[in-house]
Amino acid sequence: MRKVLAIALNAVRRLLRDRSSIFFVFIFPMLLILVIGATFGGSFEPTLGVVAPDTALASELTEGLRQTEGLAVEVVVDADTLRDDVQRARIVAGAVIPADYDATLTSGGVAEIDYVAGPDQLARQLQAAVAAAVARQSRAILAAGVVAAIGDTPFDQTLQAARAAADSVPGVEVTVETTGESLFENLGRFDLGAAQELALFVFITSLTGAVALIETRNFGVSRRMLSTPTSSGQIIAGELLGRFAVAVTQGLVVIIGALVVFGVDWGDPIGAAALLVAFSLVGAGAAMLLGSMLSNVEQAGAVGVFAALGIAALGGAMVPIEIFPEGMKTVARFTPHAWLLDGFAELVRRGGTILDIGSQLGVLLAMAAGLTALATLAFRRRLTA
Amino acid sequence: MTAAFLIAAKDLRLRMRDRSAFVLGILAPLGLALIFGQILPDFGGGEFVIDVAVVDDDGSDVSSGFATTLSAVESTGLVDVRSVDDAGEARRLVDEGELDVAYVIPPGFGDAATTGRPASMSVIGNADGQTATLIAASIARSYADRITATQVAVATAIAQGVTDVPGVVSSAMEAPDPVTIADITAESKVLDSATYLAAGMAVFFLFFTVSFGVSSLIAERTDGTLPRLLAAPIGPGAIIAGKAIAAFVVGVVSMVVLAVGTTVTVGAHWGNPFGVLLLVLAGVAAALGIMALVATMAKTPEQAANWQSVVAVVLGLLGGTFFPIEQGPDALATVSLLTPHAWFLRGVADNAAAAGLAELAGPLAGMLAFALVATGLAATRLRRMVEA
Repeated sequence: MRKVLAIALNAVRRLLRDRSSIFFVFIFPMLLILVIGATFGGSFEPTLGVVAPDTALASELTEGLRQTEGLAVEVVVDADTLRDDVQRARIVAGAVIPADYDATLTSGGVAEIDYVAGPDQLARQLQAAVAAAVARQSRAILAAGVVAAIGDTPFDQTLQAARAAADSVPGVEVTVETTGESLFENLGRFDLGAAQELALFVFITSLTGAVALIETRNFGVSRRMLSTPTSSGQIIAGELLGRFAVAVTQGLVVIIGALVVFGVDWGDPIGAAALLVAFSLVGAGAAMLLGSMLSNVEQAGAVGVFAALGIAALGGAMVPIEIFPEGMKTVARFTPHAWLLDGFAELVRRGGTILDIGSQLGVLLAMAAGLTALATLAFRRRLTA
Repeated sequence: MTAAFLIAAKDLRLRMRDRSAFVLGILAPLGLALIFGQILPDFGGGEFVIDVAVVDDDGSDVSSGFATTLSAVESTGLVDVRSVDDAGEARRLVDEGELDVAYVIPPGFGDAATTGRPASMSVIGNADGQTATLIAASIARSYADRITATQVAVATAIAQGVTDVPGVVSSAMEAPDPVTIADITAESKVLDSATYLAAGMAVFFLFFTVSFGVSSLIAERTDGTLPRLLAAPIGPGAIIAGKAIAAFVVGVVSMVVLAVGTTVTVGAHWGNPFGVLLLVLAGVAAALGIMALVATMAKTPEQAANWQSVVAVVLGLLGGTFFPIEQGPDALATVSLLTPHAWFLRGVADNAAAAGLAELAGPLAGMLAFALVATGLAATRLRRMVEA
């Protein structure tokens, strides 16, 4: 057992001594959590750009848009900038209130607002929000126009009376309520990405760890160990434990770091720890298998990165599984990432405990056992060949 | 110059034999673009239709006006109206996510609205469909405020001492809207997801592909072949040029293969081939310069490779090759422009939007600026390194 531990400890020491690997293993995941959280985190509110002259009615309309629940409003300097922002999808759509908006309306004319939108559906739908804000403001203007025409009263004076009336009439109200369970409601800004990054990076580190295994073999370290009273079983166990320890170390740093720095909620600590352990076992098994199958360090590095990225993408560690097409959801079930993420979803979104993630843990452990068995066979053959 | 080409040819042969170069340069970006193509749903037009239902328990002329309003919206393809028997059923469907939104108009609604008593209708949305609820509620509010406008007209007429109240009512109901909204379609300059992923992956891995140029120079020094080259009648400039030419050729070839490959496999739409070629040339120059500069700071080939990966990954992340960071907060979008990746993606977007070649001037200039500054600095440092 001492020998196994010594071999394992050596793997962790090699990881920590390499400074650039510190960046990829510990700093980069945090950086990604930060950037993804800043870009996509928080509740999604479509942004509407508004170009408005600095006049009373135009400002009132802008204010009305701001009050629209679920809509973010950004004031844009001019129509050209607005158009460019829409084209580059910086904002979903934009409204350009003309410079003579107030003058046109107070003289009883018809004002025209340009609604600038790209071809996508949401942009076209969002026009309803602009129409609603306009309709709200138009109540008094329309009423004033009608009364001024029939009663032959000056428009300005009538408009004032109409504005007062708009505040006092009972009117037709629209009440809005929501129902159903929100999947994302209880998530913090950084929560959604954190578990994904954990899965992605622990697995990348694991697979690129295959390189260390090949080096150990190529440099003759394994052969020398075998010449000492150390069995091939002990060497394999040590290397496995080493890969596992590296994965757990990295996972713990990411979990605790994200918790401390970004306040990420990982759910029940025991459940989270169990998931990390099970996932790290899968990573260790996969690393051993890859390291046994390949013999060229450069190739193993390149294949490891590519395989880790590809499996992560398929497993929902880059794009949430929820938006996958149905067929790909099934494919995702063959990756450990999907089960890890599903486990964290249970812990975080539904407040589950370790008792609720039995199936996720079971699948991960089964994957780990299968990979380890295959890897042990392959590695033993390499070692003793 | 012959020496430079000989060195370049030797390096190119070495690269062709190296299978890991093929994995990172071609297989990884192409494979990832393929995978993303499979897992990303198609957000293309017409997908996001809001499913609504109206429960009209009132059955008056006023409430049927809402159905008319909705069917006008439905004809534009933005919503899909279903009929549901009662409010309870509608709520259940929304709750289960079968419906996005249900409108419920209670009995007595029309009567209250026309007699100036408080009237209200409700919009029931799903907790996860915030935007659908916003849009559906907006449609209802426009309709409600149009009715309220008549009430306001009546109240105003009374306040102003206008006696012809029935005239005001009918006139208010007929009056055209004082504000109209004109639709202006802005052609999108955002890449469709297939092309975005293809271009993003291509430029991200490009930085790794070209990174061998200077690293191999350091390797030649470590392996002792550099002093031997210098002992031959070859100037340090020729050696550096040879390395640069080889890396440049590999970069351009892999990018062209990726552009063609993703066009064929995932249906990426890169636009005018000549524009793509210009962008690729500028992008490869920028990548080469930056990777060379980073490598000159390292002492060993391992260190160079590590630092290069760190720089390539961070620039790729900030440049929006993983996800469209340009649509993030302003600060990040601005930082993004400090990477050649962002300029490359913007250039491809403009090119795919069939912009003229003149409009590629900005992105090209952005990438060439990186290329010039980085290559200039790297060349000076390299010359010193080779001569030392």
